[in-house]
Amino acid sequence: MRIVVTGMGVVSPIGMGVDHFWKAAIKGMSGIRRIQSFDASRQRSQIAGEVIGFDPTSFLSAKQVEQTDRFTQLALLAASLALEDAGHLDGYAPERRAVSLGSGMGGFATFESSAARKLQNKSIPPFTVPRIMANSAAAWIAARYGLKGVNLTSSTACSSGGNAIGMGLDLLRTGKADAVIAGGAEACVLPLTMSGFEALFALSTHYNNDPEQASRPFAKDRDGFVIGEGAGILILEKEEEAVKRGAKIYAYLAGYGCTCDAMHIVAPEVEGQVSAMKAAIRDAGIPLERVDYINAHATSTPLGDIVETKAIKELFGERAQEIAISATKSLIGHTIGASAAIGSIATVMTLYTGTIHPTINLAEVDPECDLRYTPNQAIQQRVQTGMCNAFGFGGNNVSIIFTTV
Amino acid sequence: MDKTDTEQKVIQFIASKVENVDVSQITTASQFGELGLDSMDTVQLLFDAEEEFGVSFDGDEVKNFRSVGDIVNHIDNHPPSVSA
Repeated sequence: MRIVVTGMGVVSPIGMGVDHFWKAAIKGMSGIRRIQSFDASRQRSQIAGEVIGFDPTSFLSAKQVEQTDRFTQLALLAASLALEDAGHLDGYAPERRAVSLGSGMGGFATFESSAARKLQNKSIPPFTVPRIMANSAAAWIAARYGLKGVNLTSSTACSSGGNAIGMGLDLLRTGKADAVIAGGAEACVLPLTMSGFEALFALSTHYNNDPEQASRPFAKDRDGFVIGEGAGILILEKEEEAVKRGAKIYAYLAGYGCTCDAMHIVAPEVEGQVSAMKAAIRDAGIPLERVDYINAHATSTPLGDIVETKAIKELFGERAQEIAISATKSLIGHTIGASAAIGSIATVMTLYTGTIHPTINLAEVDPECDLRYTPNQAIQQRVQTGMCNAFGFGGNNVSIIFTTV
Repeated sequence: MDKTDTEQKVIQFIASKVENVDVSQITTASQFGELGLDSMDTVQLLFDAEEEFGVSFDGDEVKNFRSVGDIVNHIDNHPPSVSA
């Protein structure tokens, strides 16, 4: 049984909708700006990839806006774009339509604002809990579209969206669903969340006056990741059913690997990343040599990009030099639980269009990062097998394989 | 009988918050259920009313709120504190 991607929706700092997103991505546009949503003058990192111009009232009632956190609103828009792209799924029984979503932080905007009120002894908005809970976005998508099957949320930090897509694959293969709305959403460009990452020295702080330059995976002078927000949703179906209903087919979702370092709560580790990539390739039933594109996790932290580079070299050996790699986070920052979903959409678009988007801000490469990162300019190259990596706090490693139809 | 100042303000406020309900359809006797509000909608409305009118509804008391008049009476009996 083969699983296909039949629709995609993305809400990102460089555009809403796959067309806008992809046009901006292949141009190498940066969505990183000085933070607009709150006064960030007291943050050490004052920049982010925000979804500027996102207006939830354009598609939700005032009551729905009041009852939902921003991460849910971003997910709802991405889901509507993906479902519109896929065409109707009405042929499937409601109980056979599933949702598998990822979010690292859940409704943290609500958490921060309600916590601030509580600390001032003010009353707490009644929808505080249903807005914060990590499965809020999945539940709202189900309610909006009558998706009465399995409804799951993966919260595995920066790999959440990857686990959610992998779970979608498993649900289809094991016969627990006929169609899955899978992806991730995150909206944590927020003072407390950012301060938490700052305390770990994880965020970029040297480019506050030059935001577009700040997210620079594999570059010599990178100094941390830039926080981002967004959502990415993929519609997954079995090939036979998708063909029967005449759906547009973007790519096969061919394999999923997931491992845990079981070592350190935040530091990445080569072995775990290698084993996740290996597991995904084995799951896809393809030889190592077939992988010709990697959408790297590549957050722009000094350690992370080196570890991922080492892992790719360890797995692929000398052939690692032949694999085209790009870092979507160079364009939009690190969208945490949405990052693997948006990275998966970029991977699918690479397969579908034969264009590899660039890793921007890569004028001078770190000598320890010595692979083909597609620096600064998109390249035209027919890619048949693309792998999207996502590595999260907790030592969670996810790799997903897409192949051309 | 003419509406009091508080009644008018509360009714205006509720009309602005509740979907598909017009000022002319709301009186102090209007029960929240009659305005199409379920229990969570009502809790949200009362929370918004606290913010709007600078009052604080006691948790036990608020459980007995059924109508627009209950909000009006509470506001009239508990003028906002200066420090709030």
